[in-house]
Amino acid sequence: MATPSKSGFKWHIVVFLAPAVIVYTAVMIYPLFATLRLSFYSEVEQERIWVGLQNFATLFGDAIWSEQFWNALGNNAWFFLIHMLVQNPIGIALAAILSSPKLRFSAFYRSAIFIPTILSFVIVGFAWKLILSPIWGIAPDMLDAIGLKFLYQPWLGKEEYALTTLSLVSVWQFVGIPMMLIYAALLSIPDEILEAGECDGITGLSAFFKIKLPLILPSIGIISVLTFVANFNAFDLIYAAQGALAGPDFSTDILGTFMYRTFFGFQLQLGDPHMGSTIASAMFGIILIGVCIYLFGIQRRLRNYQF
Amino acid sequence: MTALKLENVNKSFGSVHVLKDINLTVEDGEFVVFVGPSGCGKSTLLRVIAGLEDATSGTVAIGGDVVNAVPPAKRGIAMVFQSYALYPHLSVKDNMGLGLKQEGKSNAVVDERVSKASAMLDLDNYLTRRPAELSGGQRQRVAIGRAIVRDPKLFLFDEPLSNLDAALRMNTRVEIAALHRTLSASMIYVTHDQIEAMTLADKIVVLRDGRVEQVGSPMELYNNPANQFVAGFLGSPSMNFLSQSVTGLENGTTLGIRPEHLRFDANGQISGQVTHVERLGGDTNLLVKTDADEVLTVRLFGQDPTEVGDDVRLSYENANAFFFDQNGQRALPRAA
Repeated sequence: MATPSKSGFKWHIVVFLAPAVIVYTAVMIYPLFATLRLSFYSEVEQERIWVGLQNFATLFGDAIWSEQFWNALGNNAWFFLIHMLVQNPIGIALAAILSSPKLRFSAFYRSAIFIPTILSFVIVGFAWKLILSPIWGIAPDMLDAIGLKFLYQPWLGKEEYALTTLSLVSVWQFVGIPMMLIYAALLSIPDEILEAGECDGITGLSAFFKIKLPLILPSIGIISVLTFVANFNAFDLIYAAQGALAGPDFSTDILGTFMYRTFFGFQLQLGDPHMGSTIASAMFGIILIGVCIYLFGIQRRLRNYQF
Repeated sequence: MTALKLENVNKSFGSVHVLKDINLTVEDGEFVVFVGPSGCGKSTLLRVIAGLEDATSGTVAIGGDVVNAVPPAKRGIAMVFQSYALYPHLSVKDNMGLGLKQEGKSNAVVDERVSKASAMLDLDNYLTRRPAELSGGQRQRVAIGRAIVRDPKLFLFDEPLSNLDAALRMNTRVEIAALHRTLSASMIYVTHDQIEAMTLADKIVVLRDGRVEQVGSPMELYNNPANQFVAGFLGSPSMNFLSQSVTGLENGTTLGIRPEHLRFDANGQISGQVTHVERLGGDTNLLVKTDADEVLTVRLFGQDPTEVGDDVRLSYENANAFFFDQNGQRALPRAA
């Protein structure tokens, strides 16, 4: 029987890996490094020159730039916090309710809650702008119908509410994702474990907190990090609802919209690919640090259970 | 006092009638085994007793109290599951103690009961480990420990040995029997393995298609099976059923004879040819094809030189023969 010689180079490994590596390099790795590289250059008199860390010094040091950057970062952190405190707990609760065998029509609820996730940002942003509009929106009329008109505010138009409102719109759109992931994790818990709990008197809420929740913690960790990455890369919903100026008065400006405005320019502001790349590099760094904290600080302590 | 009393218990899943009019009593301290082929309803019956399923009709009484509407934790039962069903995220100690903590017992009581159970089951060195760090046999013992600490009126075992290998199964069987003697608790044990049933039970309940076929001590069932199903289910190798090979049977009647009751006899009325020989050392099992084209098993004690292809004649004592009518029920031996 012919055995492949051990010293021979295993060409088939290269051949099988090549398509994925080439595509991934072309659309991910090369653009990433090109962007990082771009942030070390500047354009002076239509000529690209190496400026080292000068762009970063401007971004963090210059009063006008740094004020915008910290504003965007702070807004982004609030955007993330709302998702963590509202989207993920609601997603977990919905999954827990859906996984109850007593619930009828659960397939219908599951689909209905998941559908917004597959809608375009443009549609979601536009639809919610219409719904909340003080002039032709249905929100004021609906509140009026139940006698709560005094609660109505032009939520998207007020600096103190706009970011929270858009965060909640995003929560509404994406709550289906944590729900689905947790739902799958809950279904993978064997019935016998829950029945053993039932024999021990652990039912209902205490079954959820004492048995199910510890067993789905790894999935919750994954959801948290996915939420973090998605939120700090967010752009579309704010752009669709408030435009690149992220009004009112930049109160909904997050890193994505700030980067877009800087890179491509908007209205009177000229595009600056080098400063834009600098912001993109900063975003990359923030996400990288966050993911590393998760991977090395949190995920190691979570156990995956095999049933 | 009776540990368990079932009266006319029925269970249907939709239009499927799984348990049909089950009546059964388990006395205090008795070890009762439910045995039957898969799908006979024995696990469902156990789950109805545990309260994991509700009986469609009939009453379930544990320790004298009707518990049809009582949740599992309040029925005074503890269950050991086939897959052990340990909580994967808790240590051995917490696995055993969780139910007591949920009841609101103080830490001192929990610790005392857990350490008593772990000493009994030889688990003292593993109390801080998680289930994933234990072997199959150890997990099994933790599952039993979790049942013991609850100090139940009735233990329920759902095929607890089926995930263990053969050697461990034998050991654990002995341990469970010893445990039953130590605790003198009432136990119900579900299995499809007739050897477990024969070796463990004070009382065997043979189930088929959701009906109780026969109830009795292992030897009663072995020596005096009520019907052909029970006769064939208990005993290994199982009983031979002949309708052609012996003369003088009434039409439709079947003769049952256990493999160990057949012997070589030059004048025997059954003649046939050996088609297969299993040599187990202590026993030799022969498969014999009779002249009437029926296959029967002969169990010979010790070692035997018979080879495949040999022609043999067999006979049996009339006292060891069973007769069954065409419905499989016991028939009287024909008048000699």
